[in-house]
Amino acid sequence: MSEQLMKTDELLVTCTALTKRYGSKTALSGVNLQLKRGRIVGLLGPNGSGKTTLIKLLCGLIQPTEGDIAIGGMPVGPGTKALVSYLPDRMYFADWMKASDLLDLFSDFYNDFDRTKAAAMCQSLGVVPSQRLKTMSKGTKEKVQLILVMARKASLYLLDEPIAGVDPAARDYILNTILTNYNEEGCVMISTHLISDIEQVLDEAIFLKEGQVVLHDSVDAIREREGRSVDALFREVFRTTGMEGGAF
Amino acid sequence: MLGKLLKYDFRSMGKQFAFIWPAALVLALLNRFTLGNIGNSDIVRELFSGVAMLVYVSILIALFVIALIFVIQRFYKGLLGDEGYLMHTLPVCPWQLIVSKAICALAASAVSVLVAVLSIILLVPGALSGMFDFWPRFFAALGREGFNGFLLLVELLLALLVSSLAGFFQLYLAMAIGHLFGKNRIALSVVAYIAIQTVLNTVLTVPLAVVGEWAGEQINRFLVETLAGNAWAVIHGGLWLLILGTAVIGAAFFFGTEYILRRKLNLE
Repeated sequence: MSEQLMKTDELLVTCTALTKRYGSKTALSGVNLQLKRGRIVGLLGPNGSGKTTLIKLLCGLIQPTEGDIAIGGMPVGPGTKALVSYLPDRMYFADWMKASDLLDLFSDFYNDFDRTKAAAMCQSLGVVPSQRLKTMSKGTKEKVQLILVMARKASLYLLDEPIAGVDPAARDYILNTILTNYNEEGCVMISTHLISDIEQVLDEAIFLKEGQVVLHDSVDAIREREGRSVDALFREVFRTTGMEGGAF
Repeated sequence: MLGKLLKYDFRSMGKQFAFIWPAALVLALLNRFTLGNIGNSDIVRELFSGVAMLVYVSILIALFVIALIFVIQRFYKGLLGDEGYLMHTLPVCPWQLIVSKAICALAASAVSVLVAVLSIILLVPGALSGMFDFWPRFFAALGREGFNGFLLLVELLLALLVSSLAGFFQLYLAMAIGHLFGKNRIALSVVAYIAIQTVLNTVLTVPLAVVGEWAGEQINRFLVETLAGNAWAVIHGGLWLLILGTAVIGAAFFFGTEYILRRKLNLE
């Protein structure tokens, strides 16, 4: 028990002065961030605020212009990729694959992938593993990716907009799948602009505004200090940027 | 990890060629029996055999077009497109991803060539026995006059292998450079390929001229001095020089690609 307590409070992710520029456009600017194990963290901000950029940097899909990232004490590389379970904002399947090919692939490459759990999740979410991905509906494909990501006992789950673009009923089962399956010794980071839907499950909230972290605190502390919900605070913080950020 | 990557790259290769490889062989076999009808007075039979031959030739051309597209697409779509989101988040090193694609590309090309050769054997009656007649004589000829035919064969195969790999890595490097840009990535990959080729040609002009001159002198000297006796030594030397030079260039392409995927990956 004491060992578990120690583990859940351990520092997992450290970003130091993290900056990412695309040509002349700055997507992230001087981000300092620390994430601990055992937390569910909301990465909150409007479209174009740098949420996806931050997550892709943590996954190693893009490289920082300046600054450093450490996950589990390691720079981003094969070592950190073994710890990170990533749900991208797009489909990453090859045309020829069946869902079962992907389950094979995940069990081959990730030691923390639980094949039995994945099979059970397929059954409960109505995914047929022998079906070709090409012939699946968009919603079913999203379920497959969610199963792959949540059937791992990962240290860090990076979920990029898992509930955007689906109906409210689907949001519930996605959130439910995440909450009932994540590794409690790990950290879950969920990026979204739909705060009211996930506020009740969050331990911490990060507000990202024009590439900068403007707030990072526990949800309880925010509510106590501000006397209102994170959603209400979010609406106020980002309302003033409505004009400036007209392009979004 | 490389073995596991290969497992999935070979599965995708199997799907890609599952139709075309057997189709080439079946059509070759069909043409073996219809070939004799060309020039037949029966217009229907002649037409049928003509069409069968046309389809066979088209399939053979398609086979090599598909193989080339396969080599390019498995890298571009598989590592730099949306599939890259999966492949680059696996706990593997970038060099393993590249080597896996290259081995698979090599296998796809080799099998395609073998299928084409086999289809000709199937198509032309007596081709196989012709070959059985030909090879012993060929090897006998190679074995003559102190000249090492086996060594020459090994050198030629090695040169083919190394130059194929260097060719793949040149394509990979061009695509890796193209993907660094935010827009027009495919067009810029083509530009990068042409640019690499131009640089290569320019850089190689001087050394090749020097080597060519040297080799020419050597051959001349040997031919004159020993009446064709030791000219083979120069040919072997030249082949090894070619293999080594191509290997160095191929390695440069490989490490350039590896550097970009490891330090500059830019999946947008």
